[in-house]
Amino acid sequence: MDSEKEPNRYEGVSTRVQLLALAIALALTLLCARFWQLQIVNMHEYAVMARDNQVWEKRLPSDRGLIFGRNGEVLADNRASADIVFVPGECPEEQREHVVQRLEALLKVPADSILSRMQATRGAPFQQVVVKRDVVKEDRVRVEEHSAELPGVLVVVAPQRRYLYGETGGQILGFLGEISSELDEWKPMGYRMGDIVGKGGIERVYEHDLRGQDGYAVVTKYASGRPEIRTDRRGLPVVSPRDSQGHELREEAARRNPVSGEELYLTIDMGLQKACEDILRGEVGAIVVLNADTGGVLALASMPTYDPNVFVTRDPNCEHSDTLENCERLNLLRAPEPNPMFSRAYRENYPPGSVFKVLLAAAALEEGIIDEHSTFFCPGKFQINGAGRAWHCWRRSGHGSVNVREALAYSCDVFFYNVGLRLGVDKINEWSHKMGLGVKTGIDLPGENPALIPSPEWKAELFASKPVWDQKWYPGDTVNLSIGQGSAAATPLQCAVLTAAIVNGGYRIQPHLNVELDPKESARLLSEKTIEIVQAGMLQCVEKQSPAPTGTGKAAYIEGMKIMGKTGSAQVMSLKHHEQFANEEDIPYEFRDHAWFVAGVLDRSPRISVCILVEHGHHGSSAAAPLAKDVIEYFYREDPTPPVLARLDGTPQ
Amino acid sequence: MAARSLEYQIRDASIRVVNWNNLRRMDWMIIGCVLLLALAGFLTLYSACRSMEIELLYRQIGGFLIGTVLAVCLTAVDYRFLVSFAPLAYGISVLLLLAVELTGYMAGGSERWLELGPIRIQPSEMTKLVMVFMLTWYFHVLGRRIRKLHWFILTFVIVGVPTLLILAQPNLGTAATMAPLTLAMLWVAGCRMWHLAAVVLVGLSIFPVVYLEMKDFDPEAAPFGTVTDNPEAKVNPKSMLGLKDYQKKRIYAFLHPDYDPKGSGWHTTQSKITIGSGGLSGKGYLQGTQTRLNYLPEHHTDFIFSLLGEEQGFIGVCIVIALFAAFLFRGLMFARDCPEMQGTLLATGIVTVLAFHIFVNIAVTVGVMPVTGIPLPFLSYGRSFYITVMACVGVLLSIPARPHMRFVHRKGVS
Repeated sequence: MDSEKEPNRYEGVSTRVQLLALAIALALTLLCARFWQLQIVNMHEYAVMARDNQVWEKRLPSDRGLIFGRNGEVLADNRASADIVFVPGECPEEQREHVVQRLEALLKVPADSILSRMQATRGAPFQQVVVKRDVVKEDRVRVEEHSAELPGVLVVVAPQRRYLYGETGGQILGFLGEISSELDEWKPMGYRMGDIVGKGGIERVYEHDLRGQDGYAVVTKYASGRPEIRTDRRGLPVVSPRDSQGHELREEAARRNPVSGEELYLTIDMGLQKACEDILRGEVGAIVVLNADTGGVLALASMPTYDPNVFVTRDPNCEHSDTLENCERLNLLRAPEPNPMFSRAYRENYPPGSVFKVLLAAAALEEGIIDEHSTFFCPGKFQINGAGRAWHCWRRSGHGSVNVREALAYSCDVFFYNVGLRLGVDKINEWSHKMGLGVKTGIDLPGENPALIPSPEWKAELFASKPVWDQKWYPGDTVNLSIGQGSAAATPLQCAVLTAAIVNGGYRIQPHLNVELDPKESARLLSEKTIEIVQAGMLQCVEKQSPAPTGTGKAAYIEGMKIMGKTGSAQVMSLKHHEQFANEEDIPYEFRDHAWFVAGVLDRSPRISVCILVEHGHHGSSAAAPLAKDVIEYFYREDPTPPVLARLDGTPQ
Repeated sequence: MAARSLEYQIRDASIRVVNWNNLRRMDWMIIGCVLLLALAGFLTLYSACRSMEIELLYRQIGGFLIGTVLAVCLTAVDYRFLVSFAPLAYGISVLLLLAVELTGYMAGGSERWLELGPIRIQPSEMTKLVMVFMLTWYFHVLGRRIRKLHWFILTFVIVGVPTLLILAQPNLGTAATMAPLTLAMLWVAGCRMWHLAAVVLVGLSIFPVVYLEMKDFDPEAAPFGTVTDNPEAKVNPKSMLGLKDYQKKRIYAFLHPDYDPKGSGWHTTQSKITIGSGGLSGKGYLQGTQTRLNYLPEHHTDFIFSLLGEEQGFIGVCIVIALFAAFLFRGLMFARDCPEMQGTLLATGIVTVLAFHIFVNIAVTVGVMPVTGIPLPFLSYGRSFYITVMACVGVLLSIPARPHMRFVHRKGVS
């Protein structure tokens, strides 16, 4: 009982024990203080983090809007791409073997490959194992018929873009691809990493209209496992009731269903487009057909072209990534000249050659430099004071005395050398820009080339580093420009717009593909008189019965139609160079002239303007004008039969 | 020396090895605390397991019942009788640790468990309690001689042998328990203050060493000793302290909580979110979202206290910590008031071991210490640990229950 009986107890032991207690008390107080800090001071911060942990916004993808042609034909739609998937977790363990064997029998997929894929996702029994991707309808029906004996086997449907006409109009429609550099700019509009967006053509320009509104399902988020997407009976995407790890998911908030993108109606006449492409096949070039009154683009063909379907893939990481299609896609993107991805109709420019004379004639008439009776004598060549060289007419023997109508019909160069010099480079530039040359036409397609009409300012800037005599604009430059040579350049689309102004009585149109897009109302540029004279010249160019010599564009003549036209042969190199070759056929392909032909139809409805360019086709009269005849004949044919679908992509309609 | 002390104890007339009357003198405050903590533990564990792994709860209750029987038996036994066997137990546990080392070495990996026929034992776990008894025995035999430096140093030799064996397993958490145990018992045994201060200073000097050790550690680099052909490849330098790479990663994750929040730091981050989101009054019993959605790792073992914090909030946390505190302080009161040294030392040792577990475990959940894998008495799931804790409780209860050795109340001693 007494402490002195205990020999081992020393003085002060209880003090030491109490100090130990104090140390423990301090430690526990420290812990309580830390809990105070976490649970009281920073509570809201952690509550937010816990809430963020809890829910998951799973996106339900929407359908992209359909694209229709002028006659109501579907150009691009979304086909239902059905995958057969197997969810091992929804199948009793002992039946799995049997189900896999049934699938092998039904779908001709080796059981080993299904089993090995199941093995790979063993940790997540509710993850969908893809048995067969993008199945045909027969496979799908077969699986649905046997669904009672195939527990855990599902058909998951996802929309997949389909361009029904294949390469016809491929450059116009454009293609889809994964969002990349646009992401930062488009983020506020709800775009996310991995989204498939329009990368070219109409798909790009009308991306925000075509894109639907994605839906959302807010579901429970577990630390492991991801929600999976399924398809309900109506084919709409839904979140499956269990995530990949088998946790039961609960919808934590009202679901927002996806909304399909807007439908887009184009002015494109798919039959004409296909005809134009067929007409051009084998050549490198472009055909543009515009409604001369509205500016609606009826055809915008460029050869070679490509099939945008090769870019269609739902998932860039899917197992198809090494397929043949993908190689095709890469080849396309890295294609050498002539690049099929590149539309020659509005992205490439060529010297307009004699087609430019149409503009020059109209401008000179408007400016009063000439009238319908003014004549110039063409001896076959043209000389200006102080220049050490002569400019030749394409016809070495000369045209004699010609007025403006004849000059257009026979494409007399000397006449326009004279007109150009009298008009002056500044006026030529002014009228070019007014009529749509050297500036963008404003078509609703990406990457339009403004081309170029040279001016003294431009030349000075271009040769800024060169001696001053190189920077100067000489009268010879104006002479070159007068017949659309030298540095002048235009796109086929610009030439079609220029022709349309002659057809429609002097209004510059804005070419457009979307019918909703109304062309801007513009002031009349050319007077009735001017139009009459230029039209007469261009009609005579095509007219067959005209007194000899006949017009250069007679190959485009169609009995009973008022067709006007203008040929053009744009030199790639000087005439002198051509003279080295005895025969035209001996000239190497890349040195041959580009063949132009612009045409307008005056007495049919709708009135159209056509522009044809054949790269290195020699002469507009022989290489381009006959094509215009085919195009016009096709467009005004008696029996408009609908064009044949390019391909069906495996799924029957 | 061992023979002499045994002789001394056996001559002590008051030794009566088993005295069931001890049960009548049990301390009700300790029992109350233990029962309440056990109840809180079962409820929390139920919430952690839910219906999925309900058998874990049954096993835990089984462990509690076995432990209770053991505690009752230990209460009836005179602790001085048990202390007299400490050197024997010490020898056996060192041998067992060596056996673990050997089997681990033979199996070509690290081992903590030892298979003895049908039973699997974890010698490092029971070494904690054995060390409490061994040091009690040693200090009791030494008496005031502990003030001599060589006896003082011998303490560290005694503790060092099993500690190094445990470290070699490697089991840093259990080995770390030895440090506060030794220091606290030396302190209460009456060592010279400056001896202890010197040891603490040497101990603190480990921090600069850890700093040097961690300075060049790159969690992305290959572990030390990796042979690569690539001269650019980073390989971590050799560890001065012999720390394994995974241990260094834990320390790194603790020092850099933003590094790899899904990896080593994930536990700590999620535990803090779990506790913090509980707020003052908690989300309510069985309403913890972090646990239901599996964000809280190890939510029925090492991080069960986070779950308590989430569902019961600051109030629940404080109540449970208060219960722990009451239990520990009552134990220290036994130490203070026991009229002889063995009881004082035993109570000190047991309280220190339990306090260390409680403090480190909770400190890990709130992110003030790196993840060590030390369980929380009464709450963490783990049957053998539960039984060990209940054995501690039994020994603790037997100290004031010894006949004629009632509390020497303050007023009685003057």
